[in-house]
Amino acid sequence: MRTVVIGAGLAGLTASIRLLEAGVDVTLVSKGPGGLALSQGSIDVLGYRPSRVTRPLEVLGALPGDHPYAVLGTATVRESVSWLGQRLGLVGSPATNLQLPTAAGAIRPTALAWASLAAGDVRDHTTFAVIGVQQVKDFPAALIAGNLDRTVFDGRELRAGFGLVDFEARDGEQDPSPVHFARALDDAATRRRFASAVAAAAGTADVVLVPGIVGLDDPGAWDDFVAALGRPAAEVAMQPPSIPGLRMFQRLLDDARALGLRHVQGSLATGFTHEDGRITGIEVASAGHSKHIRCDAVVHAPGGFESGGLGVDSHGVITERLFGLPLTVDSLAGLTEPEVGAPQPLFEVGVLVDADMRPLGLDGPVHTNLHVAGGILAGAQRAREKSGDGIAVASAWRAAESILGGAR
Amino acid sequence: MSRKRAAELQERLDNELRRVSLDHCVKCTICETACPVMGVQPLFGGPKYSGPQGERYRDGASVDHSIDWCSSCGTCTVVCPQGVQVAEIISLAKAVKRAEHGGPIRDVLLTQTTLMGKAMTPVAPLANAALGNRPIRKVMEATFGVSADAAMPPAQSQSLHGWLKKRPKPSKAPTRGSVVYFHGCAGAYFEVEAAKCAIEVLEHLGYEVLVPPQGCCGLAAQSNGLFDQATKAILDLARALAAAGKDLPVVSTAGSCVGMLKHEAKHYLGVDDPILDEVGVRSYDISEFLMERHEAGELDFDFRPIEMQLPYHQPCQVRSQGMGAPASDLLRLIPGLKVVDSNATCCGVAGTYALKKEKNAVARAVGQPLFDMIDRTNEGLVACDTETCRWQIAHETKVDTVHPIVLVHRALGLSEG
Repeated sequence: MRTVVIGAGLAGLTASIRLLEAGVDVTLVSKGPGGLALSQGSIDVLGYRPSRVTRPLEVLGALPGDHPYAVLGTATVRESVSWLGQRLGLVGSPATNLQLPTAAGAIRPTALAWASLAAGDVRDHTTFAVIGVQQVKDFPAALIAGNLDRTVFDGRELRAGFGLVDFEARDGEQDPSPVHFARALDDAATRRRFASAVAAAAGTADVVLVPGIVGLDDPGAWDDFVAALGRPAAEVAMQPPSIPGLRMFQRLLDDARALGLRHVQGSLATGFTHEDGRITGIEVASAGHSKHIRCDAVVHAPGGFESGGLGVDSHGVITERLFGLPLTVDSLAGLTEPEVGAPQPLFEVGVLVDADMRPLGLDGPVHTNLHVAGGILAGAQRAREKSGDGIAVASAWRAAESILGGAR
Repeated sequence: MSRKRAAELQERLDNELRRVSLDHCVKCTICETACPVMGVQPLFGGPKYSGPQGERYRDGASVDHSIDWCSSCGTCTVVCPQGVQVAEIISLAKAVKRAEHGGPIRDVLLTQTTLMGKAMTPVAPLANAALGNRPIRKVMEATFGVSADAAMPPAQSQSLHGWLKKRPKPSKAPTRGSVVYFHGCAGAYFEVEAAKCAIEVLEHLGYEVLVPPQGCCGLAAQSNGLFDQATKAILDLARALAAAGKDLPVVSTAGSCVGMLKHEAKHYLGVDDPILDEVGVRSYDISEFLMERHEAGELDFDFRPIEMQLPYHQPCQVRSQGMGAPASDLLRLIPGLKVVDSNATCCGVAGTYALKKEKNAVARAVGQPLFDMIDRTNEGLVACDTETCRWQIAHETKVDTVHPIVLVHRALGLSEG
């Protein structure tokens, strides 16, 4: 059996790995590198509803019937997210949220995260030493510490102070990107030097918080840094492209490649062929001429409005770009809310699916072997709820299981 | 230096649709995470700064010189999720700078690839001895700025067309029709063995192979900002290939050069000519061509086993053709051959980049992860689709580096391992 997966984000890579593990041939087609580089290196399941959620799985059953989690069911979410967490070696579980400090000094609920991030969980610590680096932009240690210091979490007053270190990642470079800093810290000697500088700047506290830049390619970098520092510490994910997010992207892509992934990079899927209600191939805009990839099943995981999987034209017409799939709403009118911070109904627009993640038209599945996953699914306020990662993982898992089930 | 030419190029830079793609840049800096040069050279501002960001401020003023560190590998365009034509914008800005300020004569010399081949072939042993001679290379470095540490093309004593004239007619009559073979300058003069293998493989599989006289694709000139020279070269090439036969597939072992026909001449040089469009749509990398025919059920390969672990590196300019990795797919069909993809961004050579005195160290640093990977995985051989990359890899790793078609040739029983 041959499958095409469209999109290299969390959903596309999850579906690819599941299918490859089962011995199915997968060609992944992606225009960009997916959304993981822009993510935080953690897996959100449900963070707010609308107040802070502590035990996500217990709340999923109460979501409205058209929410992706309602279609997927709690058991699928538990099984799929736990599987991914184990595969990646993440800390946490979909049952209980971690509560992690952010680069603005807020507290973010998320279900699973890299150990280096999870070590900063405010449920485990009361006092924090926030250490910034003069050469690293966008990690305002004073602001982070100030905000943490005025936070009362679970009836407990948090305490935080800050310090700054002067540390050049590369000689003479005053404005390095976090990526270059992280690569410099892949080097053991540079890492030790950084640990000494941080140790000297950090006052007494339960845990030292540093920007999320400690190594990119070396999986042992964090443990080595903590050992050199000699006291509990945690990374805080910075804004995109965040290093913990890049680590997750690279790790999932490496895993998929090791399982035999074929990857068509940098090319847009532009069309498809079909016969008797089944997709028979995907057209890809490779250079010079289009490429036709024959397939027996498709997982379409292009993301939503952010990535162009869904689009709104100048007349306010909303469309799904590739297959022209039916959407919950196809006109922008009345879908935007002027009040800042209010839920935007537009963001709930998307594709409705059956239990096998097949897009539904009026008469059932649009194509019997077309499955969708991730941000293209209708019914969720992902950014407000912090539910996008869990939806992506669970829907991709379900799509892959359906394809495998059909093959058995 | 030509003020007029600079103004024409500036006009393109200001008004072409590709330039407008800079408005799609959301400053996510994903290109910076992937740029191989930025990762090793702090003096390079990176693709976002040199491309869409800098471009907003180049209103009449020239670009700053840091843009020269760009190797034109094209990775930024491949990874951009928003469809910004980052590498194309940078390349055009480099051409404007070149027209305004000129550049070293060396850069012009390095693009005379056909001339080099013609001059070196008759005196191959002498040429190779000279290029392998450290004092001579030091003089070349001091005089022309050609790095003494860079890999040089290996001159051959017989050109491809010399071989074609002398060889006996193919014994098998063609059963699948004709293809036009595009060998590139390297295939004609330096990588003659790979070109011979390609012709013999295609003939063995039942194709008639037409090899028209052909020149350079202009890629080296393009990446040095010499757009007029590059435009003339690619159009001459397209005409030469078109003259070989109407509507025939053009099949190539010149991994990067075929990208000029497919998309780069159009998108980088701005060549808008029906002859290029017509030839571009029927141009194929040889592995792409064979895999497409295979997957369409038209071709079966009766491969003999090759028991070996083989590192394979897909060059940046082959990856940017957006066709996946057909060479890797093809090699995996050979029984016993354990193909290990490098997944490395770039070997660093980027055509002529590594040949430049001031850039050679950067090029080697770019390629280091690839060279390390090859050290770990090779059993005496590496495969890679593009000539200059093969020379760079062989030079840095001391491991024999061949075009994938050489292994296909061997697996088909056409040569011994």
